[in-house]
This record gives sequence, C-alpha cells and structure tokens, in this order.
Amino acid sequence: MGGFLYRWRRLLITVLVVMVVTVSLSLTARIRGTVIGLSNIINTVVSPAESSMAFLGKETGTAISSVGDLFTLQQQNQELKRKLLEYNSMKLELAEVLAENGQLRGMVGLKKNLGSWHLQPAIIIARNPDSWFNTAVIDQGSRSGVQTGMAVIVPQGVVGRVVAVTPNTATVMLILDPKSGVGAVDVRSQSTGVVLGQDPVTGLLEFQLFSHKPDVLPGDVVATSGLSEYYPKGLLVGQVLSVSKNQFGLTETAIIKPSVDFNRLQTVMVVESHPSGTSIPPIFGGGQS
Amino acid sequence: MARFRVGTWIVLYLLALLMQVALLPQIFPNGYAPNAVLSVTVLIALYETPRRGMWAGLVGGLMQDLWAGRLIGLNALTFALLGYTIALVQQRIVRDPIFVPGLLAALSQVVVTPFQWLLLYVFGYHFPWLVFSRPLPVWILFSMLFTPALGGILGFRTRIHRRTRYRSVSPPW
Repeated sequence: MGGFLYRWRRLLITVLVVMVVTVSLSLTARIRGTVIGLSNIINTVVSPAESSMAFLGKETGTAISSVGDLFTLQQQNQELKRKLLEYNSMKLELAEVLAENGQLRGMVGLKKNLGSWHLQPAIIIARNPDSWFNTAVIDQGSRSGVQTGMAVIVPQGVVGRVVAVTPNTATVMLILDPKSGVGAVDVRSQSTGVVLGQDPVTGLLEFQLFSHKPDVLPGDVVATSGLSEYYPKGLLVGQVLSVSKNQFGLTETAIIKPSVDFNRLQTVMVVESHPSGTSIPPIFGGGQS
Repeated sequence: MARFRVGTWIVLYLLALLMQVALLPQIFPNGYAPNAVLSVTVLIALYETPRRGMWAGLVGGLMQDLWAGRLIGLNALTFALLGYTIALVQQRIVRDPIFVPGLLAALSQVVVTPFQWLLLYVFGYHFPWLVFSRPLPVWILFSMLFTPALGGILGFRTRIHRRTRYRSVSPPW
C-alpha cells in the first residue's frame, strides 16, 4: 500500500490540489459575501504594508523620472539663467535709455520754449578734485561760443555759471560752490535776496534775504531775480525748506533745496545769448506763484 | 633703496587726479569723492627719504591745486607735510605690503581732513566741522583699501624683498 502511494504521489497530489481548487471555486462562487469580507479583513491587515509599498513604488518611480528630468532641467535652468541675465541687462539698458531720453526731451523742450535764446548743449566731463569746491568741466569751450560769465542751466533749473574757458572746455562754478552767489526772488512773496552755496556735502543752498520782513515760507519756490549780472530772470533755483532769523534778528535766511540733482548732472545747456528783459516761461519758475 | 624718478611721480599723480575728477565723482555722491592723491603720496613716501617724500607730496599737492584752480598751496602744503611725515615714520617701522600702507593712509586721512579744514577756515571758507567731516568714514575706508591695492598694482614690495632680490644665499660658515 505504502509503495503504491509513494509511487503515484505526484499524480495524487496534483489530483488533490485540482479537487481542492474545484471545491473552493464552487464554494466561493456561492458564498461570495463571506469571501469578500475575508478579503477585506486581509486587506485591512496588510493595508499599511500595501500603502508603504505603493508609496515606495511611487517615490522610486518619481525618483527615476526625476533623474531623467534632471538633465533636462539643468539645461532649462541654464537657458533661463541666460535669459534672466539678458532681461536684466536689457532692463538696465532700458532704464538708462529712458533716463537719457527724458533728459534729452527736457533739453529739446527747453530749447523749443526758449526759441529766441541761444543755448549750447554740453556734457560734464570732470569735477573739481577738491571735494569742498564745486566746479565742473564741460566739453564745450570758446570754439563753440562759450564765454566767461554765461549761465548754465538744465530743464530742472539753474546749474551755475562759466568761470573759465579754454578753446575746447569750460569750467562751470555750480551754485553749490561756497563762492557762488545768485540774485534770487521768492516767487510767491517777491522777496529778493542772494542765494549762496553752503557746502557740497549737504547739497543745500542759503538764501539771504534783503528785506527786514520778507514773508518767505517753507515750500516757496525761488527763482533767479535777474538782478544778477550773470543769470537771466526766471530760472528755477529751488524750494525753501526752512526759514530762520539771523543772529540779531534783523534779517532772515532761508535754506533751499536746489531743484537740480547735482549728483546726476550729465548734460547741461550754456545760455550763450538771450533777449534782454525777457524771462523764461512759467514752467521754469519765472512768474510762478 | 630703489627710488622713483620725478617723472614717475608726475605720471602717478596725473592718473590719480584723472581718476579723482572723472571716475570717482561717478561712483560717490557729490562732496564724498575721496582723494586718490593722498594714497599716491603715502605710497611714494613709504619708499623714499623724508626729503624726497616731502618733494613728492609737494608735487602731487601742487598738481591738485593747479587742477582745482582754487586756493593754490592748500594741498601742496598738506601733502608736502604728509610726505615728509610718512617717509620719516616708515624708517622706524616694520612694513608689510598690505596692512601698513592701509593703516598709514587711513591715519593720514584722519589727520589731513582737520588740517585742511583749519587752513580753509583761516582763508575764509567757513564750513561747519560736522558737515565737513561727514564724508570722513567713506574717505578712510577708501584710503585703507585703495592704497594697498594700488601698491599691489604698481608692484610695491617690502624693503626686505627688494634687498634680497639679487643676493645669493650662502651658508654662514
């Protein structure tokens, strides 16, 4: 008996397995709900492991695809960096061009408004080597008709006057210079005085008023009075910041913020000639209240 | 001691002045542009005798005065004294190519500013001291960095380096 079973063991096991599977199939086909319940129990038990495996699989897949993407991204990154650099330089160029354009438009506007005036455009090429003297060298000299004493202006207001001339260059004393003096008038109250350069560091001006009770207030606009030998009437000088009485209370002094930004001064206009007795239109300070 | 010729001084001062009038005002705000002539004077005086240091300072200062076209003698006097003092001091101190030029230039700036303020005051330019000295930290920092950098560009070496350049090394026995 034992020898028979041993001899036919493989066949017997196969038949047994087939029978068990058949019985199982026939049983589970009928009691489906119970099987699903069983399956649910198993799923519940193994779900953490399943989730972990799924997570691992997903992450591995992502990692593999990321490695693939890495090279593409690196290339894209380089490309974007290059483009960013290009855009940044373009932005800078644009800002520079816009600033220059604004300056030139101002100059053109100034020239148009002052039709009967003869203005010579010039570029500032150097400043004074001493920090406490404020002069600048422009690239136009006597060959272009520039002469000592001529006023130098920009659309924002008065810059200074020419103090020395060579054939190709001229030295301009800015109104900030401690030795500069400009005859000026407070446009609102018509109080007159002289605007003196205070110091180059603060960049402010001192308006020494002639009258005893001048009625100058902070915020007032100050323009050239035309009483000065060099500056035509009506050029904008700046705006009053504060007013104070002098030592003995007899006269008043106002501190003025210049209308011209001397740190950004590049192109200026030399007033070579202007009709005597005329003043600049109100936009440049003359007659403005 | 290898000395610079007067022509070299003039070229160095010309370059410094060009930088001072055309380049530095583009970088620094109005009134804050530092003095490159001071740095050149300190560098030259570090390698000269007091007498030649004084002459160098005088040349540099005079060039700046003539260039500025105002108060001629202000910088000539200042830098002549500075050149003399630096040349005198350098004979008594151990030098290196970076720290000492930077320190001496910064100290020079600290001394030169009140000296010039005083001179200007005497000659009728009454600047308030607090306003006048406002750019001083910027100037000190500039001198401290610019002077050793310029020395490096010009190939300045320490005294020991220059003396041992062509000397053969032989054993003491």
